[in-house]
Amino acid sequence: MLLKAPPSVYQAPKCFVTYGSMGHTDTKQLPRRSKPWSTLMGLGFIHREIYEMLRHHLVVENPPPSYYRVTMSLEQVLQGDFFTEYIKRGNILMLSEGTDSVDNMFTLREGVLTMYLDKETYERAGLVGKPHGAKGNRGLKPRWVVSYDLRSPSMLRGKKGFDRLVYASKKVLNQPLAWLFCNIAESTPHPDPLQQHYPAKFTSSPGVAEVLEVSPVAISVPSSTLAEGDRPDLEMVASDLYEWLSLIRLESPRVRAGDHVDPYLSRYRAPGDASGQMVVCRVSWQGFISTQWVRGLLAALVTKCPPQAWFSLNATEFAKNIYATGNEISLVRPQGASDEYLMWEIKSTE
Amino acid sequence: MSNAGQQATRGLLARAHSPDSVNRIYSEKIQYRTLHLRPSSPPPAAQSARTARRKKRQQEKAKKKQRPAPLSARERRRLGLHDVPREGQKYETYEPLCKLWMGYMREILGRDIYTGGPNAAATLASAEFHGARVEVVRSRCPGRVGIAGIVVRDRKFVMEIITRKRGVKMVPKEGTTFRLTVEAPAPGGEETSGAPDSKTFVFDVLGDQLMVRSADRANRKFKGHFLKNL
Repeated sequence: MLLKAPPSVYQAPKCFVTYGSMGHTDTKQLPRRSKPWSTLMGLGFIHREIYEMLRHHLVVENPPPSYYRVTMSLEQVLQGDFFTEYIKRGNILMLSEGTDSVDNMFTLREGVLTMYLDKETYERAGLVGKPHGAKGNRGLKPRWVVSYDLRSPSMLRGKKGFDRLVYASKKVLNQPLAWLFCNIAESTPHPDPLQQHYPAKFTSSPGVAEVLEVSPVAISVPSSTLAEGDRPDLEMVASDLYEWLSLIRLESPRVRAGDHVDPYLSRYRAPGDASGQMVVCRVSWQGFISTQWVRGLLAALVTKCPPQAWFSLNATEFAKNIYATGNEISLVRPQGASDEYLMWEIKSTE
Repeated sequence: MSNAGQQATRGLLARAHSPDSVNRIYSEKIQYRTLHLRPSSPPPAAQSARTARRKKRQQEKAKKKQRPAPLSARERRRLGLHDVPREGQKYETYEPLCKLWMGYMREILGRDIYTGGPNAAATLASAEFHGARVEVVRSRCPGRVGIAGIVVRDRKFVMEIITRKRGVKMVPKEGTTFRLTVEAPAPGGEETSGAPDSKTFVFDVLGDQLMVRSADRANRKFKGHFLKNL
């Protein structure tokens, strides 16, 4: 008796390119609704964060992001001081171990607890959820997503909905898991409920600031393309620029000035003509980073970077699928146009 | 898919989407998805209309021959013979029944209660569950999980359970797993009558496999099947 493999309709990751203009950025009240800020806030849990710019690197005053790794069971997350201080009153970000398409994984973001469960765990838990994954399984094992808004007033001990969640966490989802924890609110409560669980603290200090000498490339979109609204041309320019920026991010030798490689191995040519040199500096952070921190970084870059210089910022989410590609946002402020931006959003579906 | 089929699908899509979208939607969402038209098991021949009609005719004939004629479902409902009366819907009334059931279980299981295994399973398959302490442990319907109490009626497709606080609950057996517990005395025998029971014998009953009336279950032989949905 052959068991069918679960259907997986492969959908290639999609890239959305936007060229727009940014209004004035006030560092005290960071903008929320307009692009690119809203797309930036739409990302979930950021894993890696890199920015590049011309010449000298800017001293960024944002404190480096810090996060903790702690081993807790779901029951401990939902009871006691931890629940009242961090979840009800504070603002935290938590990610549990596990892959969402293989085992049971939990995430907590903006007060919403999302649980990705397999069929047996879902049936035993008795919580209402929605099917998750490729559609079209007849009789095969779907996976399920259950989500609870823990900040709503009905999520208190003694209320029916919350009691069912607690019952499930005691009977079924009772294994201790490793979680990544990040506190977004400015203040930590005293005494800190997290310390009872012996967390391990990590701070992602800015990675080595690489200074590379590369052949010069014009970081801008030709104004004729913009004026005519020429889509295929914009697509070509944007793809070339994205490719060049990705190679810089990877510190590839192909983009360095004076690089001679056998054309049998690589025929890459940077866009534009290749005489002279340009100095590019690259700073990176890796860890469990919140979108608020990235937003602060972008605001600092926009306000402090000299108007004629260009910079580019890239933020990658944690990978959720087997190909290890997560959603990603790349932003470039072109040289010469200090209030415009070119943005790439790469979205990979489940 | 044949070329004509492909063209037809694309044509349909083109009525609502731009050519780029048509290509994208077709290649990502339609081209490699299998379309199930008809369930593949049991094979269609077994379900032909003729055999179904013949089976039905034979069943009706057999039913007519029974004397005295059994009550129809409507008559049974109207007479309310099998319902649990309102006064009887109190948890405390059934606790002595539960104790009786535990005694009965210990008697039929004997030494198997400590070892478990296929011997215990064979005895349990034909055992009676009225008065058992039960909890719904797993179910395709999330609302049923967690219902716990004493079995009042064990009907063909449904188990009626009386809970401590919420009265009588009718739990369908389909897609549900029930967990029954029996208190077993300490294996050294009963030296002191006040000694607390030290072990609990717990077993799970799969409702899907148990959709038979409890009276009919006594003579039924259960075969071991591979359960795909578990």
